[in-house]
Amino acid sequence: MLLELSEEHKEHLAFLPQVDSSVVAEFGRIAVEFLRRGANPKIYEGAARKLNVSSDTVQHGVEGLTYLLTESSKLMISELDFQDSVFVLGFSEELNKLLLQLYLDNRKEIRTILSELAPSLPSYHNLEWRLDVQLASRSLRQQIKPAVTIKLHLNQNGDHNTKILQTDPATLLHLVQQLEQALEEMKTNHCRRVVRNIK
Amino acid sequence: MELSESVQKGFQMLADPGSFDSNAFTLLLRAAFQSLLDAQADEAVLDHPDLKHIDPVVLKHCHAAAATYILEAGKHRADKSTLSTYLEDCKFDRERIELFCTEYQNNKNSLEILLGSIGRSLPHITDVSWRLEYQIKTNQLHRMYRPAYLVTLSVQNTDSPSYPEISFSCSMEQLQDLVGKLKDASKSLERATQL
Repeated sequence: MLLELSEEHKEHLAFLPQVDSSVVAEFGRIAVEFLRRGANPKIYEGAARKLNVSSDTVQHGVEGLTYLLTESSKLMISELDFQDSVFVLGFSEELNKLLLQLYLDNRKEIRTILSELAPSLPSYHNLEWRLDVQLASRSLRQQIKPAVTIKLHLNQNGDHNTKILQTDPATLLHLVQQLEQALEEMKTNHCRRVVRNIK
Repeated sequence: MELSESVQKGFQMLADPGSFDSNAFTLLLRAAFQSLLDAQADEAVLDHPDLKHIDPVVLKHCHAAAATYILEAGKHRADKSTLSTYLEDCKFDRERIELFCTEYQNNKNSLEILLGSIGRSLPHITDVSWRLEYQIKTNQLHRMYRPAYLVTLSVQNTDSPSYPEISFSCSMEQLQDLVGKLKDASKSLERATQL
């Protein structure tokens, strides 16, 4: 699959051949850093002054590079497809190689960052448990009522959330049995076939 | 067990064969247990024709006294001798004491279950449901190919009548971790019961 680059995108990237390959490598580093931490406009100004161009040009160049990298990583295009997509830009052999290397080096990390953007439910983080026996209450003395108290740690969008719950021994066994069945499902032929064939 | 004067007075009236003949006594006693334990009992529990001849104020007083005593006895898990002692103090004759103790014994289990169910507790897990899915792509990331589980815990809350659910997603490794920890808890429970 080839990347479709818009005219505007190609214009932005046209800045890259005009600078040293070390500068392009630096832009690549800045692009990935922006994906990790968010954009920092001050960096554009510093670079613009050093290269003697407007900061807009620098910004477009970095953004163009960022978009190129994220789209390629999202679609997980092959090396060959990447090279063919970049070929239309008419860059030098050296620059093409540099861009490909940037893609391959950062692809995995970019995909991890992109996966965090998906709509997500709270996800499991940890579970702590404690065995309790209720001996008496205001309404009934001399009891022996076992219970399991559970602290469930969940993560959602970076927030850590804990829920404190309780259950009785019979339900605990039921929970274990049900969830073990859930794990067993992955080993069935049906699931194995799906995992094997959808790639 | 601390019982008020009002309860004692009520029982003294119940002890008197002049105010309550044998039949009326039995009926009132049964009515007291019924209004406590029967979820469908209504106010008409005292509307029996054989109780009509008794002053309604006296009837209510004795019914309340009996119900209060039954609850206190249940709460403290009173045994037969405790019951007998108190009833003797209220001037019950032998026959009425036996009747009371028999009725109490018949209803003891239901009473204790009822009393044990009253009270606050943490949200209680009642059930779990799960879903296994195979993630293929999102609008941000194509070609994912990753299995994931969605687990939902059904929870019952004593405070509110609502039934909130707790849902969360997890990978296979995380689910294995979760199940492992729950199994540890149940093994520990098993060991504790064998001590």
